[in-house]
Amino acid sequence: MPSLVRTDVRFPARTSLEQILETFERDAELAAMVTRWERTPAKPPRYAPFPAWVDGRIVRALRARGIEALYTHQAAALEAAHARKNVVVVTPTASGKTLCYDLPVLDAIAKDGSARALYLFPTKALAQDQLAGLERLSGEIDIELKTFTYDGDTPPAARAAIRSAGHVVITNPDMLHTGILPHHTKWVKLFEQLRFVVLDELHTYRGVFGSNVANVLRRLRRVCRFYGSDPVFICTSATIANPEELARRHVEGDVVLIDESGAPRGEKVIAFVQPPVVNAQLGIRRSALLVGRDIAATLLASGVQTIAFAKSRVQTELLLTYLRAKFPQPQYPPDLVRGYRSGYLPSERRAIERGLRDGTVRGVVSSNALELGIDIGALQAAVLVGYPGTVASTWQQMGRAGRREDLSAAFLVASSSPTDQYVVQHPDFVLGRAPEAGLVNPDNLHVLVGHLKCGAFELPFEQGERFGTEDTPGVLQYLGEQGILHETEGRYHWSDQAFPAQAMSLRTASNDNVVIVDTTGGGQRVIGEVDRFAAPVLVHEQAIYLHESRQFQVERLDWENAKAYVTEVKVDYYTDADLAVRVRVIDEFARTAGRRFSRAHGEILVTALPTIYKKLTMFTHENVGWGKIHLPEQELQTTSFWLTLEEAAVPGWPRERVEVGLAGLGNLLHALAPLFLMCDAHDLGLAVESRSPHARRPAIHLFDMTPGGVGFAERLYRSTDALLERAREHLASCGCEDGCPACVGPAYAIGAHVRSSVADLIRA
Amino acid sequence: MTLDLRARIAAIVERDRARSARVEASAGRPREPDPAPGGWTAEGPRAVGSRTESGGTPPRREGFGGPPHGADRNERGFSLREQRIAIDDLGLEVVGRAAPEAGVLAHLGLRGDPPASWDDVLFLDTETTGLSGGTGTYVFLLGTAHFSDGELVLRQHVLHDLAREREFVAAIHAELGRFRACASYNGKCFDLPLLRSRVTLALRAELSVDESHLDLLHPARRLWKDRFGSTTLRQLEESVLDDPRVDDVSGALIPERYFRYLRVRDPGILEPILAHNARDVVSLVRISDLVARAVILARSGRAPDHAPAALALARVFERTGETEAAFCCYESAYADGDLTVRTRAALPYARALERRGDVTRAVTMLETLLALGAGSETWREQAEARLRRLSRIEMRRLAVAG
Repeated sequence: MPSLVRTDVRFPARTSLEQILETFERDAELAAMVTRWERTPAKPPRYAPFPAWVDGRIVRALRARGIEALYTHQAAALEAAHARKNVVVVTPTASGKTLCYDLPVLDAIAKDGSARALYLFPTKALAQDQLAGLERLSGEIDIELKTFTYDGDTPPAARAAIRSAGHVVITNPDMLHTGILPHHTKWVKLFEQLRFVVLDELHTYRGVFGSNVANVLRRLRRVCRFYGSDPVFICTSATIANPEELARRHVEGDVVLIDESGAPRGEKVIAFVQPPVVNAQLGIRRSALLVGRDIAATLLASGVQTIAFAKSRVQTELLLTYLRAKFPQPQYPPDLVRGYRSGYLPSERRAIERGLRDGTVRGVVSSNALELGIDIGALQAAVLVGYPGTVASTWQQMGRAGRREDLSAAFLVASSSPTDQYVVQHPDFVLGRAPEAGLVNPDNLHVLVGHLKCGAFELPFEQGERFGTEDTPGVLQYLGEQGILHETEGRYHWSDQAFPAQAMSLRTASNDNVVIVDTTGGGQRVIGEVDRFAAPVLVHEQAIYLHESRQFQVERLDWENAKAYVTEVKVDYYTDADLAVRVRVIDEFARTAGRRFSRAHGEILVTALPTIYKKLTMFTHENVGWGKIHLPEQELQTTSFWLTLEEAAVPGWPRERVEVGLAGLGNLLHALAPLFLMCDAHDLGLAVESRSPHARRPAIHLFDMTPGGVGFAERLYRSTDALLERAREHLASCGCEDGCPACVGPAYAIGAHVRSSVADLIRA
Repeated sequence: MTLDLRARIAAIVERDRARSARVEASAGRPREPDPAPGGWTAEGPRAVGSRTESGGTPPRREGFGGPPHGADRNERGFSLREQRIAIDDLGLEVVGRAAPEAGVLAHLGLRGDPPASWDDVLFLDTETTGLSGGTGTYVFLLGTAHFSDGELVLRQHVLHDLAREREFVAAIHAELGRFRACASYNGKCFDLPLLRSRVTLALRAELSVDESHLDLLHPARRLWKDRFGSTTLRQLEESVLDDPRVDDVSGALIPERYFRYLRVRDPGILEPILAHNARDVVSLVRISDLVARAVILARSGRAPDHAPAALALARVFERTGETEAAFCCYESAYADGDLTVRTRAALPYARALERRGDVTRAVTMLETLLALGAGSETWREQAEARLRRLSRIEMRRLAVAG
């Protein structure tokens, strides 16, 4: 192959990965940064024979590919699916998960040409990749199999054929929601004979999106019942704490968990890298991007095929630029390192994927777009710039490096954010059993009511019918009174001329976000959106809004139409809005009293009235001006976890110290809670009360920013001890003197002795 | 239901409603005004005689009623109203008279074998609970018209109770099954897909009639789009039939009106919709007749006066192999048209002239247009190529003659 020849010529001093790793271990500068150098041993494969019932043509085709047997987890998944049991398969990247669902589906279609299957992928790119794989496989098997993707890109002319003739329809939850279920009469052949529904990357169906998807699946099962089918669900998931529970919430039935991989694994080195402190007082460390660049460049220069992950589009581009600068032309080929993220053209992406597989592309810098199962073969090394946010993503990104027999390496370079700092100082958090749970709350009325409407549009509801929650009859009755549904002879019919699925996005809770419009240079360009509840703080008029590390000033906030008009500016200050927040506990679901802390979770109403904003200078945080904010009070009814400080926790403390300690602990818990929840810090709200009207004690509220909640509060209630333990560990190992943004918050903002106050509060 | 739950649902529903109101306001969708006091007055079609299915006297103003809250809802979940109109009163000349000709039907948009008689064609129009399609959009009124014994029989199937939809759909499915072909206005895209969906949902059956379908929208566009800009049925009534609608309920308000009827069950609410639908069906028949007449006239040598319409007809004639009629229409389009229409007509017209051996006229025409600088770049290239070909033919002929 000419491409390999060229690479060899370019890299005459080809070194083995083993040698480079030895060099790394000996390098004093790097060694000082490494908080953990973990070597996981190779693992041999475990095989199981093809089940006897599998169609002979399929077995022959697999043998022709050199596959003589299945891995044990594949065989287990096949047997369960064959016995009509729902399955969730949780095994590492590149362990042959696809065959776990492709084989039962192919077998069913080989035996009965009228059988149908529906594959759901969270993104369109994954669907395309899957289509190619399944077509290759079915091409080798001598059976009639038509596989199609059906999404927004499907040409109208092709749709009719897909609806009636497609054996396997590959789509995404959004398309199922707006394009398929409301038109189910066009899909009679699919719904009458639907044997399998495949939910790939199940762990991505969590939070608001997951709660919506769970309801779309309820609608799917309703339609299937109408046409007389009862499909088996085959799910795959990355490693999370509760795959079985998450699958059960989606499938609403029993699920068999298969989590012992039979696939072989090569030896792997995993390194946790902590960039050195450059400003101890502010807790600022050397940029993770630069440290990551140096590691990746060293690997690439030695001919090691490497993938680097960055956390945002901008970081992806920056890292790419930095790396390319290290490999100037003409000494190096121009496409030595490529970028890969959403926003690239599909054809570009396909070319890069091919290049990675055949070895012509030696390095790639990717956003999390390559984290999910796109086939790029296996690389030798992965460099993660920044903790990806969840343990599941971390393993998926690290799993991109690692052939089945060879040695591979993965480096996690921490940024200075609190979660990154926690992870790099406690690598067992990643290496041990995953603590994060994928949570959904399909019965959240804010989510459910919309789907109930869509369900009624699809098929009338019977009076006593249950759609998940026991509240169904109440909702139906109310919608009936409002004339949205029409009740006659015990059934509720859709009676509105609107198409309810149209206005509902699965990916946001309320569709009620404030859109940020950049008017710099006269045009109008949407650059982002913020939650309406958070909008008064972030995008009040004159606010400085940060987007991709650029500064924008809000010129006008059109509250009525939910639009904030901004222009780009260069100023040396930021704005900070004061918010008068009140929390009213509506309902306490559970409470555990403790000697020092009591914990509870329940439903709350948060009201927030923005008052004034301050202009603070960038580095010294001096107050250089202020203004009033004229916006209405915001209300959020949601679920919350709260911790109250009993007298024993603050024996005889002066009031000021209690307040400082409370604020610091609030920051610390708010920063660390996402470690348990697979969410971002901004998915959780924080309210600190020096005297809670409900508990009559100082209290910290961590509440779900989604109206009605997606389950964070209850999970935190159940993991409080572990959360406090993490907080203790993190505080003990933080290098700062008296609080920094990576732990309890800086003393200049919270108050003096914040660190020691918090430490005293939570000491074991 | 606890009060708290109720309040919560109310807040969520209100939020959704406010949001869709914002969307609608920006899209400018009209909303149903409060019902006018004193009921509605609406003109039905000009009926010479009408009767219920079981015979008897005209029940036009009778409504479908029963008591407002329907003691007899079970029997009267759907109903059928029928009236008959004399063909002469509709001014029909072709449609409904002699056996339909395949050539004429092709112009009306039919593919496949033509029905033997006009009696086999069912004209139809539906009223629905929305325009978006999908399984939650109900067809609650199917208006049909067919010819029988020299009369146009107008029938309106109305669904009065959504619980009776299955029976209603079974009845209209049976009615549709009795006909070889159906005719509609934009039914290919709207009415038929919806009917198909209802039939699937209620009966798990398929529609037999939609294989053979005359959709008048396209022929009407060919004849009148250029002249009147729009070819809605409303526009054609005014411009082509010279019979504008007064007191008509706006189509956009029909779904809300029907939902109100389901709630309060006052048959007066439905009357304007029935009148609107009857009017649509009758206009459909009359428009079909005008299209058929234009086709027949063109065939006998009298192409439409309006040049773009003549050109559009010419193209259909060419497709269906009626070269003589096509030639007549091209000629007329070229003679009456402005430079744009002439340019559009010139190339096919030149071919038609060539087929008839009139090469000289074709050459003169193309040379004139080229000299006038007509047409786009591409058109000019094509015209020049054609001209070269025609000149060769002419040279050869002169050589033979010489």
